[in-house]
This record gives sequence, structure tokens and C-alpha cells, in this order.
Amino acid sequence: MNGLSDAAPVLAARRAGLAYAFAEKVCLPFLLDSQNTDGGWGYGAGTQSRVEPTSWAVLALLKSSTSVATEGARRGLDWLRGAQLPDGSWPAHVGLREGSWATATACLALHREGSSSEAVTRGAARLCESWPQEGTLWWRLRHFLSTNSVVRQNPFLRGWGWVPGTCSWVEPTALALVLLRNLPDALHPAGANRRMRMAEAMLFDRICPGGGWNSGNPMVYGVAGVPQIGPTAWALLATQRHADRADIQRSLDWLESAYRECRGAASLALGHMCLCAYGRPARDLEPGLDRCWSANRFLQNVSVAALATLALLPGADFLSGRERPVRP
Amino acid sequence: MSVASHPLVPSFERPASRVAIRRVQSYDADLADVLWQTLREFDLPVRGKTVLLKPNFVESDSLGAINTHPAVVAAARECFLRLGARSVVVGEGPGTERDTEAIVETIRLRDHIGKLSDVFVDLNLDDVSRVALRTRASSLKELYFPRTVLEADFIVSMPKMKTHHWAGATLSLKNMFGIVPGGCYGWPKNILHWAGIDKAILDINSTVRPDFAIVDGIVGMEGNGPIQGKPKKSQVLILGDDPVAVDATCARVMGLLPERISHLEKAGYLLGHIKAEQIHQIGESIASVETPFEVLDTFRRTRRKHEA
Repeated sequence: MNGLSDAAPVLAARRAGLAYAFAEKVCLPFLLDSQNTDGGWGYGAGTQSRVEPTSWAVLALLKSSTSVATEGARRGLDWLRGAQLPDGSWPAHVGLREGSWATATACLALHREGSSSEAVTRGAARLCESWPQEGTLWWRLRHFLSTNSVVRQNPFLRGWGWVPGTCSWVEPTALALVLLRNLPDALHPAGANRRMRMAEAMLFDRICPGGGWNSGNPMVYGVAGVPQIGPTAWALLATQRHADRADIQRSLDWLESAYRECRGAASLALGHMCLCAYGRPARDLEPGLDRCWSANRFLQNVSVAALATLALLPGADFLSGRERPVRP
Repeated sequence: MSVASHPLVPSFERPASRVAIRRVQSYDADLADVLWQTLREFDLPVRGKTVLLKPNFVESDSLGAINTHPAVVAAARECFLRLGARSVVVGEGPGTERDTEAIVETIRLRDHIGKLSDVFVDLNLDDVSRVALRTRASSLKELYFPRTVLEADFIVSMPKMKTHHWAGATLSLKNMFGIVPGGCYGWPKNILHWAGIDKAILDINSTVRPDFAIVDGIVGMEGNGPIQGKPKKSQVLILGDDPVAVDATCARVMGLLPERISHLEKAGYLLGHIKAEQIHQIGESIASVETPFEVLDTFRRTRRKHEA
């Protein structure tokens, strides 16, 4: 072995140690301090408990072995169970009476913990029963008859919307796919495979011409959309079984480049997780997160601290490509 | 209070509005002085009050044509503090980019207004309360709004002067889409599109009407706005206490007919003035700063050349 290869494991261990230290000293204490007395978390420290940040915070705390983190996760899971709507979905805000994209994140957290299969089954079933609004006959007919389409996309391919009564968008579609891919057969609702196939096709239809995804408009009035790190990372995490596709590789190239210039902690964490899941090189995460924390304290954003924890600590296997095959 | 405190008065019962146009060569100018000289003419009731500045921050923007320039935001903040405001907060809820920190860091907001945790609120993620909408132009009936908006005494809409591929133009009224929280409705806030963009603009502004508007037209955007258009130097700041009149004036500066921009035309009945004879101009005349903006073919009929 030469000197360089001798040093590689040492450097890797040092990097892992720095990442672990940042998660343990910054992210996890912030999450624990931010937990509300009702057990949930708001998007910002001390704000009303919401489903999505609570889901991410629980997933982050479940990666720590300390008793205080375990207790925090348990209380968060209790809050999530209590926030489930009668139809099995979860709302974006507890005052809303309809489900949302947060159904997928809540199911991910509850499934990860493992003792709430009934709640997860109902959530996943509701997810697969919910169709975005562009599926209506009127919508399809209008698109079929239209000669002047503003956006370039196939309206017959449907994924999931953020909230009921709206269109398919990249991120909620990707989150639902990540969830369904993680569920074992026993928890898979009827129609899941069909939804997954169509959702994957919808994501591929929405790739920006140069690679990567934005919220869901790859082309408007003939002008190519500009991709964003968040939607790109989620879409790539949701489509890992298609890693050999040219448009996936092009999107990874774009992500690698954008990640180097990124100035937001959320994008850094998501970009890092995604590049690692695909085995692509990603510069160390901890220095970038440290800069964001020093400058803005992550804007007090709980989801960001949780995603950073998931990116920093090893073993986010629910994002790392463990695949549930989609039946043909 | 800004929320539901403004009476919905038919246009013919409203006194004339005042709108100021200031010529500003670039963002290197003494923007605080320009704004200070102008704001003092309006005798604004902000002493001891909480002021919310609502800029238009959309996404990273290498050409400086998408987002309200942070120098304008910083100058406005300085002026409202000088006018005696108890606090001046900057709040925005970007429509499609979830990583708000990435946006504000890329445009260097921190360099202009200081430590963000003291001053900036991500309206997408704020605490919220449900509010019944005061008008029923759309089917929405009610919306959740951020606590920071509902608790503000005085709201200043600070858009970029841009064309918009669905609304014709995006100015101080359309800018209020940014107060609808993504944390409740997603990114983008697609319920507003389904409810009808023009109608949703009316319902939001009838309920949370900005008390003042400052439009950054130093560099705006023409063509396929609000993101994919081309930078357009108009070299103006346009401001006033009737956001409808401010938007109508902006439209005229852009070479557009406000009465042919659907949401402005409707806002002119109940929320403010769009008719030129009901708007008293301060500072530069419209003719002296008019800079025709390119528009998409869909909005060709909004251009002034079609007036005759």
C-alpha cells in the first residue's frame, strides 16, 4: 500500500467523526430543545406541531441511541398517531380536514419505528386511493383539444399532489414513491404497483431538459425550466432502480455540480444523501452545514436539522436504495 | 391592523390615490435617501407599530431580475425604523423553492439587513390561523395565513416589476401570494392556481390588503416572467398607499393597460383605483419613465399600442 491508501481510512474515519460530532453536538440537541410539550415539532422551533417536521425529527432521533433521543422519538410517534385523520391520511396542519403530502412522511416515520403497521397500512391505502386533480375527464379532454399548451408535460401521467384537488408535483410524488418502495408486501395497498409505475413515468416526464427537476414544470412557453436541488434529490432517491438511465445520470451530473455551489442547509443535506445513495462523490457535508448553522442557525428550521442528521449519521437505509421491485 | 381593517369601498366613493415615481439609476444609489424623501410625503401611521416588509424572493437569480433587490429591502427597513416603527420584519414564503435559506443567502440578504434570525421570517413555515376570506371571487372561502402577517400592524408589499405568464403582470397585489403558507398548501401553492389566479389575488388582497407598496423597477423582468423572462432596466421605484393604484401606475410605466390585466381591472372596483384620473402622480411623470415591456403573445392585448 502506498501512503495515500494508508491515509484514506484514517481520513474517512476522521470525516465520519466530524459528521457524527456535528450531529450529536448541534442537530440532535436543537431537535430535542425544539420538541413541543405535546410531543410534536413545528417547522420552526417553538411553533405549532406539524406532521412533516415531526416525521423528519422522529426519523432523525431514531438514529441516535441515547435514551433522551429515544424518548423524544416515542413522544413524537405518539403525536403522529394522534394526528392521523379518520380516512387514514395526515394533514399538513392539524386544523385542515384533508390529507396531504405529509401522509408519506408520517408513514415513513411510523414504519421505521415498526409498531404501527395498522396506521401505516391505512395511510398507504389512502395515499393510493387519492388521485391528483388532472386525472379528471374534463382535464384530459381539455388537454386533448388544446392546441396551445403552455407547459410541456403529459397530463395522462399522474403522481401525487401536495394537497387534494391539485396537480401532480415532483416532491410529493417522490415522497410517496420512497414510502411505497420501503413497505413490505403485507403493507402494500391494492393498486400500489400501478400507482408506482405511473408515478415513475410522471417523474421521468417532468425532468428538465438539461437534467434535474424543479417543482414540476420542465418547460413553460418553450423555455427550459431550471432545476432545483430539493426536488432533484427526492426524485432521484425515488427512482434509484433506474440508475442506468441516461437522464438519471444527467440529473446526477447536474446535482453534483449544483451541490458544490449550494448555500442552503436543506439542499446540502438532501444533495449529500442523494449523491451518497448513488455512490457519487460529494464533498464533506459538515463544513457546509457548520457555515449555515453559524450564519443562520438553519433559520430555526426543524426539518433542516432533522434532514442534516439523517445525512450526517450512517444508515438512512430507507433512502439508500433498498428496493421493493415493482411488479410488471 | 392590516387584516380585514380596510373597508371594501367602491371605487367611486374613494378619494383619489397618490403614487410616487422616483427615478433611480442603479442599486448603488442612495436608496434609503430616495425612499426617505418619498415616504415622508405620505405621513404613514407606523410610529410604535410592527411593520412587515413582504418582498418577492423566488429563487436564485444570477441576472438580478427575479427577486426584489435586497438593497431596496434594506433601505425600506431603515426608513420605517426612522419613521418610528417599533419593529420592521422581512417576511416571505417562496412559491416553488423550499430551501428559503438558499435563496436569501444567494441574493446576499444577510449582507444588507444583518443577522437573518433577528429580522427574517419564512412565511411558509410560520404558525398559522384560519381566516375567512372577505370576498368570494374564487371558490376558496378561507385560507390559513401566517401569524407574522396577521399580527403585523402595517404591511408593505415590495414586489419586483415583472411580467407574468399567467397573470399578465406580477406587482404588489400578486406578490401577496407569498403570504399563503407552503407549509399548509405545498410548493407551489397550487390551490391558488386551481381557484383561478386572478380571483385568488382578489380574495387574498381583500382580506390582507397591503397598507403600502414599494415596487422595485430599477431592474425588472419582461417577456416570459416571473422567472424565465429577460431583465429590463426601468430605473424606477414606484410607491404609494393604494397598492391597486401603484400596480396600475407600474403597468402604465411598463407600457401596459391596467384595465386589460384581469386582476387589476377587478381590483379597481373594490380595492383601489386604476383610472389615471383618480391617481395623483408624485415625482416623475409616467411618460418620462415609460419603458415598454415585452409580453407573451397571450397578453399582447394588454399593451398600450393596442389602445386605439
